[in-house]
Order: sequence, then structure tokens, then C-alpha cells
Amino acid sequence: MKLKFLASLIAGFGIVGTAPLWAHHSFAAEYDSAQLITLKGTVSKVEWTNPHIYVYLDVKDANGKITTWALEGYPPNTLKRTGFGRDLLKIGDPITATAYKSKDGSNTGAGREFTFADGSKKFAGPVGN
Amino acid sequence: MRIPFVLSMTAMLWAFCASGQSAPNKPIPRTADGKPDLTGTWQAGGVSINGEPGAPPLHPLPPTKYRPPARQPIPYQEWAAAKQKTFTVLDDPTSKCLLPGVPRIVGMPMPLEIVQTPKEVVILYESFRAYRRIPINEKLEHPDDLTPTWMGDSIGRWEGDTFVVDVTGFNDKTWLSGLGSIHTEKLHVIERYHLNDDDTLSYTATVEDPGALTKPWMTGSVLRRPVDVRVEEYECIENNPDNQHIQKAMELQKDKKQ
Repeated sequence: MKLKFLASLIAGFGIVGTAPLWAHHSFAAEYDSAQLITLKGTVSKVEWTNPHIYVYLDVKDANGKITTWALEGYPPNTLKRTGFGRDLLKIGDPITATAYKSKDGSNTGAGREFTFADGSKKFAGPVGN
Repeated sequence: MRIPFVLSMTAMLWAFCASGQSAPNKPIPRTADGKPDLTGTWQAGGVSINGEPGAPPLHPLPPTKYRPPARQPIPYQEWAAAKQKTFTVLDDPTSKCLLPGVPRIVGMPMPLEIVQTPKEVVILYESFRAYRRIPINEKLEHPDDLTPTWMGDSIGRWEGDTFVVDVTGFNDKTWLSGLGSIHTEKLHVIERYHLNDDDTLSYTATVEDPGALTKPWMTGSVLRRPVDVRVEEYECIENNPDNQHIQKAMELQKDKKQ
């Protein structure tokens, strides 16, 4: 019961500005927060577009077969304001990405953390909810 | 027994926080005509100003003692509560890049800019490229030729140091907040913008709709001034395949259940 009491207070007062992380659609309906996968590949296409960016990663398996994954991320303006500029993504760059797998069965994911060749990391999209 | 206790605590806390508004610690900026100067860029939330686990914002904002009103469920009439349950996220107008309406647009995680003059206040929203012209009219008289629209018709006036905006003339196509939060064309929103002494902007909206609600519903937020941010273009319809993905995910889910 104490937990519930605390939770109620936090819901009402703990957070200033409780706007949704995804402004225009439901994250939970599209992506599985329980399936955070790691993809190591090279950038083959970048759509720096609204309402969300898409980064395409070519991922090679043990047999050399390449699968292209589409990773959705924050809107461009949000990324710029968090220090993730468009210039960080170049075709051919190696990237290791974590992503929440799409619920539609396709090779699509909600990009979370990108690790670049120099070891630096940036969040491309929200934490699962 | 606990729930009423929580509610009363919540009300007390809100009253405590709100009381701070009448005792400014330092003078707020004012325009030449003596009104609080709301001019500038504001934002209600989002990772770019609040940060997230493992990623603090580039420009952290100082804490504020001001708080938004406690969240309350929307007090729907029986028919509206039943209808609310029939919607899915695919029906959300904003998922199709349509305008979010008032008050929903204020809580979007993107900045807005207020341009204030003695005769009118203009709000430019990054989200959904919306804008609102709010002429100042002491009697809060709306034009008599309104056609229902997504963002409604806004008229404002100053009540002391609070800018009060009366919004009416809405269509019935927007959602108030959350899944299926419908309303009718009888929607009437009274917004209050109050500049606080710590350079934050308290925003509340009292939502009335005799066609769908049993009583007025209140929502709101505390807007901050994001650092080094300006309202920029957001062309939502540019690349928006999410609903196709969600539709497919729902069909897969349905197949699994059968």
C-alpha cells in the first residue's frame, strides 16, 4: 500500500512535463520492450526525416548473408537537441545498435543506443516502456 | 481509505505549490504596458529538456518548485466512456499527423514560441506546425461565424498577471489526452498562463464538454525555457509508416490468438 501511495504522489507531482516520448504514435503498439536486440552492421541508408528518422543497417550473419534492418529513432530536431547530429551517420560507417524489435515480424526496430566506431555512444530513440 | 487520503494529500500539495505563485522572490519580466512578458520559447517536456536514464540533457534546467495539477481521469458520461473503449491507437489523429487540438498540443515534447503584443498573442508550435492567434478581447467574445476546427477559436484577456484564453469552435475529431479521449463540438477550454518567479510558465486548462463530460476536467503542465532551442520545422507527414507497422502487428497478434 505504501508503494501505491508513493506512486500516486510521483504520478501527480514527481515529474514536471510528462509529455510522451513518442509524440505522435504508440511505442508499445509497434515495438516489443521485452525484446532488446543488439545489431552490429554498417549504415546503408539514412532517412533524416519527420516524424522519426530511420537508419538502415546491413548486418552480416556467420554465413556472410546480409540482412538489412530499419531502425526508427527520435525526430531530427530532438536528436539535434540531444547532441546527435545528422553528421554522426555516414553511409558505410560501422555501428553497433541496440533496438527493440518490431511486433510486426519485419526486420524493423526502435533504435535505442548506437555505439560508433570510436567507441562513443548516443541514444537514437527512447527506452522501452 | 487510502485513495481519499492520497487525493487529499495531492490537493494539499498542489495548493501549497500554487500558493508560491502569489509570492514572487524576484520581479518577473514585464512588457511596456506592464503585463507579464510571456515572450520566448517554452517546452512542457521531452528528452531534450528532461534527459532520460543514461542521458542527461545537454543543457540541464534548474529545478522548479512549481508543479502541474494532479492527473485526473476524464469524467466521461456513460456513452462517451463506452465509446472510448472502441478505439485503438490507429485511430489517434496525431498518428496520421493531424492537429492535436487544445490542450493536448501544449504537452507535446517539442518547443513552442509565444509572441506577445498588446493586442494579440500568437503561439507557434513546432509540433504539427500548428499556430494559434489569440486576439485580446476583455469580453472574451468570439466571432459569430465560426466553423468547427481542429484547434478551435481562441480569445484572450489578462486577469491580473494571468493570461486567460477562452477556446471554443472545435470539431469533434481531436483527442483530449490518451487513447480514445474523445469530445464533442461542445468542447470549451479555458486556459491559464502564469509566469512564475523562477522563469517557468504554469499552464492549466479547464476542459468543459456538456456533450461528453459529467463535470469539468483539469489538466496542465509547467513549461520551461529550453536553452539554445528555437522552434524549427516538423513536417510530420514526410515519412510516417508507423501505422502500417502497427496494423500488421495487430493482425499478427490476432492470428496468434485464433
